[in-house]
Amino acid sequence: MKKNPAKVAIVALAAAAVSLTLVSSSSSAATTLYISSDLPKQGGSADQSASTNKAIRLLLKQMNNKAGKFTIKFREYDNSTAAKGSWDDAQCAKNAQAHVAARDEVAVMGTYNSGCAKIIVPILNQDPKGPMVMVSNANTNPGLTKTWGPGEPEKYYPTGKRNYFRVVTTDDNQGAAAAEYAKSLGVKKVYVLNDRQTYGQGVAQAFTTSAKKLGLTVLSDGVAGEGWDDKASNYEALFTKIKALTPDMVYVGGIFDLNGGQLVKDKVKYLGSNTAVKFMMPDGFTGYPDFLALPEAAGAYLSFTGLSIDQFPKGGVAEQFQDEYLLTYGEAPTSSFSVYGAAAAQVILDAISRSNGTRKDIFAKMATVNIPASKSVVGTALKFDKNGDIMSRDITILIVKDKTETFVKKITVK
Amino acid sequence: MAKTSVSNNVTRSNRKWIIGYSIAGLILFITYQFLIPWEGLPLGIYDAVYQWMPPSAINESLVYVIMALGLNIVVGYAGLLDLGYVAFWAIGGYCAGWFMSEFFYFLNIHFLGSVPAEAPGIHINFWMVLLIGGFVCALFGILIGAPTLRLKSDYLALVTLGFGEIIPQVFFNGENFFGFNISNGTKGIVRVDPIPVGVKDLGPFDFGWKLLIFLLLTAVMVFISLRLRRGRLGRAWLAIREDELAASMMGVPLMRTKLASYAVGAFAGGLGGVAFATHVDGVYAERFNFTISIFLLAMVVLGGMGNVWGVILGAFILSWVNGNGLTAFGQFYNDRFGTEVDFASFTFLLFGLVLILMMLFKREGLLPESRLKLMLHEDELDDEDASGSKKKVGK
Repeated sequence: MKKNPAKVAIVALAAAAVSLTLVSSSSSAATTLYISSDLPKQGGSADQSASTNKAIRLLLKQMNNKAGKFTIKFREYDNSTAAKGSWDDAQCAKNAQAHVAARDEVAVMGTYNSGCAKIIVPILNQDPKGPMVMVSNANTNPGLTKTWGPGEPEKYYPTGKRNYFRVVTTDDNQGAAAAEYAKSLGVKKVYVLNDRQTYGQGVAQAFTTSAKKLGLTVLSDGVAGEGWDDKASNYEALFTKIKALTPDMVYVGGIFDLNGGQLVKDKVKYLGSNTAVKFMMPDGFTGYPDFLALPEAAGAYLSFTGLSIDQFPKGGVAEQFQDEYLLTYGEAPTSSFSVYGAAAAQVILDAISRSNGTRKDIFAKMATVNIPASKSVVGTALKFDKNGDIMSRDITILIVKDKTETFVKKITVK
Repeated sequence: MAKTSVSNNVTRSNRKWIIGYSIAGLILFITYQFLIPWEGLPLGIYDAVYQWMPPSAINESLVYVIMALGLNIVVGYAGLLDLGYVAFWAIGGYCAGWFMSEFFYFLNIHFLGSVPAEAPGIHINFWMVLLIGGFVCALFGILIGAPTLRLKSDYLALVTLGFGEIIPQVFFNGENFFGFNISNGTKGIVRVDPIPVGVKDLGPFDFGWKLLIFLLLTAVMVFISLRLRRGRLGRAWLAIREDELAASMMGVPLMRTKLASYAVGAFAGGLGGVAFATHVDGVYAERFNFTISIFLLAMVVLGGMGNVWGVILGAFILSWVNGNGLTAFGQFYNDRFGTEVDFASFTFLLFGLVLILMMLFKREGLLPESRLKLMLHEDELDDEDASGSKKKVGK
């Protein structure tokens, strides 16, 4: 007599499920609501995510776990797996289902990766009791909220309700801020390059549009300037051509990885130093020690979405929050993204406090969230436009000086 | 002696499993489709199920089972080490991305699809895309196999490793593939058409129906595996696995037989790839990395190479531990003892430990194939016999 292993496994499973139910049985009052975070807790972003979760816990502690008449509890979800070592699409799909299925859960703080958000948002959007609100602290891909790729953003909102919000601004705003800063430097004629990839083209396109609007002369053709070939051994031909047009500035929309080093070297070689002909790039070039180490990088301007942590306003709730974080955990938050996580939670809690505790009503109250700068943990006002994007669009401008990124200016895009 | 065990093994594939499998499947379906969403269910049970075994975790595990069964044909049956199986998953996934979404937004091709006729893109019926995915993968299996299968063991493994790296890289950088966008690069293809099942299109919360479909696909793979194994081709695979030289001397056409194993294995990859794309509602190039190939291989080895039921068990357990088990246990433990241990960061450690322990104490897998078990223990016996430490009458 042979046993069927599949059958045995199922019986064992059922038995396990039954025995588990004996362990857990708690009746939660309707006044206790859960909010959750959905972050990659394994792999490269693990520290970042741990710090974000800590920031949210601290915020809840400061508020005595209360939002209006509700007691708020916090649940952490992990959207990464060990097998992948980073965020995992299957895990995102599973978490999305779990958020909807958890009857006491009302809103989600996350995700870190835009790709993961694109899986979760449509599912939360179709929640029969919802839509369920999700507020991200780190997604910068414009397509989630704005007309961008084909079908975006409508395809993420099957019911037509915009249940997704974010407290950081999008990649394309960087281009606009850069153009504004270029104008303030006295630049008149600018040549735009892009790396021919989505991110680079997006930033370059936004820069070109804004520059034209501000009255600058854009010497390059096309909506996003000229693409550079990342396989080229040098850019002599490119920069010789540009030199003939005598620009005041070269703007590079792209990332350093795509032969950016050679590009930077050849720019200085053929067009002269970065003070003579100014040079500017987006955050695709920030955080690269290799770039900063180049002598040719000196004097180049960089832009960066959001505020870096040392630029949060001093002397208010923002500074207090960081002090308390340091006091509670014995270390500073790993980066501004973790504090933005607390800001996202702050937004959710504000909506909950004014709601009747259902997902539908919390969604309705999100439209009227307005946390003034004096009460916000990031020190800027938290208020959303009709797309779900944050109203205060802060971009930090940096300059490369002595092989480090040095703060120059904060620009708020209108 | 050996003869009895071998014949046992070969004739084992009767059809009784279909009954058991159907009953088990039906129980799962009823549980997840009707029992869990039922309002009268005590909240304790509901929460526990969602914590320990949510429906999407079951569905995900089944996709892994389909893949592992495919890999089992290559590794377990034919004994060809394949370190790049994830490539077939990727090809299957992108078949779904291409033929079941708005990715080719400038086209408007509909064929029994599940979206309104005015929607842009190519929208072909899920069941056909399954077949397309399967056959495209089988074709790739043959294409890749043809020049490389002349190589043996280590060399073959290296070539498959290369293949498994190249295909995902092509998709990863596929936004500009000789001027064409074939994959949307790192952004992936998001939003895949829902599965039509006649009466309705499956939405994101129809787990039960999806479960049924995935169970059906798994059953197809089990059926193929068992039937093939019993037949001429399967016996040829086993012969090659055990002694390639002897097999070829006995008239087994090596190339053709090996290619067949590659094609059938790849076919499963295609099925799984398409199923997975509908499960997560998108295709992301980042998924298809080397660790996933290794993960699938671990499922086959841990479960019991060559034994279909063992592989299913191995795939289920590993994908559950990876996706849900450890997190659920961590939550349970932290809630119970009021600690804040970060279990997620121990996954690698536990994973490695389990593999090491398995290889130390149960090399042949959880549910070993009787034939393989015999062979592994034969070696041990021979060693002991040779050293003269033990006098045991031959098996």
